[in-house]
Amino acid sequence: MNDLIAARATMGFSLGFHIIFAAIGMTMPFFMSAAHYLYLKRGDEVYLELTKMWVKGVAILFAVGAVSGTVLSFELGLLWPGFMQHAGPIIGMPFSWEGTAFFIEAVAIGLFLYGRKRMKPWVHWWTGVAVGVSGFASGIFVVAANSWMNTPAGFDWVDGAARNIDPVAAMWNRAWLHESLHMQLGALQAVGFAVGGIHAVLYLKGRAPDLNLKALKIALTFGAAAAILQPFAGHFAGQRVAELQPAKLAAMEGHFETGRRAPLYIGGIPDVETRTMKGGIPLPGLLSFVAHDDFDAEVTGLDKFPREDWPPVVIVHVAFQVMVGIGTVMAAVGALFFWFWRKGAFPRWFLGVLGASMPLGMLAIEAGWVVTEVGRQPWIVYGIVRTRDAVTPVPGMVYHFYLFLVLYLALAAATVWLMGRQIMKVQTRLSGGAQ
Amino acid sequence: MMTDILVLFIGASLLLYVLLGGSDYGAGILELLPAGRLREKQKHVINDAMGPVWEANHMWLILVVVILFMGFPTIFTTLMISLHIPMLALLAGIVVRGTAFTFRHYDAVQEPKSQRVYTVLFSGSSLWTALWLGIIVASLNRGIIDPRSRDVWTAYVAPWWGLYPLAVGVFVACIFAFLACIYLVDETTDAELARRFRRRAAAFNCAVIVAGGLVFAASLGERESLPVTFFKNPWTLGVMGVATLLFVALWLFVTRHRVWLTRVVAAGQVSLILLGWWLLYAPNALLTATGPLGFYEQAAPEATLRQLVIALVVGSFFIFPSLIFLLRVFKLKRAGG
Repeated sequence: MNDLIAARATMGFSLGFHIIFAAIGMTMPFFMSAAHYLYLKRGDEVYLELTKMWVKGVAILFAVGAVSGTVLSFELGLLWPGFMQHAGPIIGMPFSWEGTAFFIEAVAIGLFLYGRKRMKPWVHWWTGVAVGVSGFASGIFVVAANSWMNTPAGFDWVDGAARNIDPVAAMWNRAWLHESLHMQLGALQAVGFAVGGIHAVLYLKGRAPDLNLKALKIALTFGAAAAILQPFAGHFAGQRVAELQPAKLAAMEGHFETGRRAPLYIGGIPDVETRTMKGGIPLPGLLSFVAHDDFDAEVTGLDKFPREDWPPVVIVHVAFQVMVGIGTVMAAVGALFFWFWRKGAFPRWFLGVLGASMPLGMLAIEAGWVVTEVGRQPWIVYGIVRTRDAVTPVPGMVYHFYLFLVLYLALAAATVWLMGRQIMKVQTRLSGGAQ
Repeated sequence: MMTDILVLFIGASLLLYVLLGGSDYGAGILELLPAGRLREKQKHVINDAMGPVWEANHMWLILVVVILFMGFPTIFTTLMISLHIPMLALLAGIVVRGTAFTFRHYDAVQEPKSQRVYTVLFSGSSLWTALWLGIIVASLNRGIIDPRSRDVWTAYVAPWWGLYPLAVGVFVACIFAFLACIYLVDETTDAELARRFRRRAAAFNCAVIVAGGLVFAASLGERESLPVTFFKNPWTLGVMGVATLLFVALWLFVTRHRVWLTRVVAAGQVSLILLGWWLLYAPNALLTATGPLGFYEQAAPEATLRQLVIALVVGSFFIFPSLIFLLRVFKLKRAGG
């Protein structure tokens, strides 16, 4: 593993790790606030029990998110000084707002987690909402910083340096809206399905059915609604990518030859050598329609780009297919969820489906970030700075990689183990009390 | 003008990180010491004192990082390249410290075996992180950081290697532990434990002075030793003198159980030490082998600085009231009652 690959692996791994906890940290507060609201309004103790249970889980997951986020803020410089040297002054603005938002989130979560007995009930409730709002805002700011790497704006590039920097224009670059929308919906969807899935399994096991049913209704109200909206957000994002980063779109779709009536492939593996798709079902004209609203529109293929500027096509295409496939399934499950709720009961097979869907959203988030990050390669700032020119000169990056690999794997194992203990303990106690 | 404000924010954030975040590390360091039958009680006091605030306290460090990479990118990247190894050590410590502390508190099954593991990880990494923080701070102005070099030893190890950075690390750890003792005295209703915190505050007070002497002694081997730098700078000398004299006031208040006066005086002393250090080197952020890297020379373009200042000032209007609310809810009520 050379230093560049090691640095990329470290960054990818740290981001992929942090994003799970970030997604939880910015959406769970809304679920908790909803449960807490129902308790305060209806006085039903089950909702208080549920809030407390979620609070304990969130406290653990939030801490992991906070420290892994700290790591990322340092790693920007530890791994990519050549990037931060140019990009810091241009995209620091969303980071500074993110810092502010996260600061408020950190204060609010302290109040919310520990302050129930020290504040008036509704003041305490509002601190929970503040955690959610500031967390959600900080997510949007971070994604705005990332979107600038895809559609750099707010500066002139003169002789290898940025001039006439305009941080405001950089922040509101052309990709911020579709990326943020897609990500925030994705977070709601992934966390809603993960939490709903856990409670569906517990319900099926016959543990505290009342609590678990209420829990899964709250979580999946958010999750299923987001899952149903997501295809629209995804379609919007796809069209923007077609316009702004045609090489990325071509890699996503395994589209080698520029042409009209471009086919959309379901499945299939792109063969970079022969520049063809192996396998997969082609749907003629559909890619043209999806990308440009017209079955006969021309879609730019990879042939328009020098070979050295291609992203790793196979990875991007497979990751994209995984994301879209999962998204489709989740939208369908989400629609069924509302349908069964309206009918008044969830059949057991459907609760099984919900249980099986537990990890889907997180998988889709990871796949989506592979699409956007690997799909931007070989650039770190699209069309301006190459990743290999931004990497740190420090040698032995592979040790940096191993250190964080071991640290994060241990942390992930510990977190899963703790969550298991948490769930078992609460559920056993509740079931014991109910029977 | 914009740079002035940003330098002020960096200084203030560092100070608040030391005063608030530092005491959280100090609490971890305290748990490394023998505690006998008060161990469990001490653990609960520290859990309750740190739990609601440690994440907010930690944010001051993030703020410094963000201001540096947006406003002073060359200083940021030089630090991250030349001090890559200590930064990595610091990060590993931050990750282990924060998670071990939270896991210990929120583990659903509180059994002695796993609790012991969390405590060892939490307290060990608190000391580890404090040491590396000191090592990094000491490395900033030694004049050894060499941005031109790509030789492994000269470029990546020599800048932080040596007795002097280690001595500063020990000094920082002692200051953190001292602050923790002072703050914790009134977090407990248990008279015996409070007495222990008071005794340990006295011990760490002495340790701070001894470690300060060590820093001076170790600096004799540096390119420019501290005694020399100190006497060139009457302000630093004066500030350090006042900090030392304040120990008299501190112990007067401690023995008379004046909770808030004690806390304020101790925090004031630590602030003065930090101010003295700042006066020695500001407005240079780094002293490298090729000369100083100053905040004013290395600042980003004006448009960037303006946006950063706006974000910080507007952010302050949200952050400070919410922080004050946090402290009111968790600290004032207890100390008053």
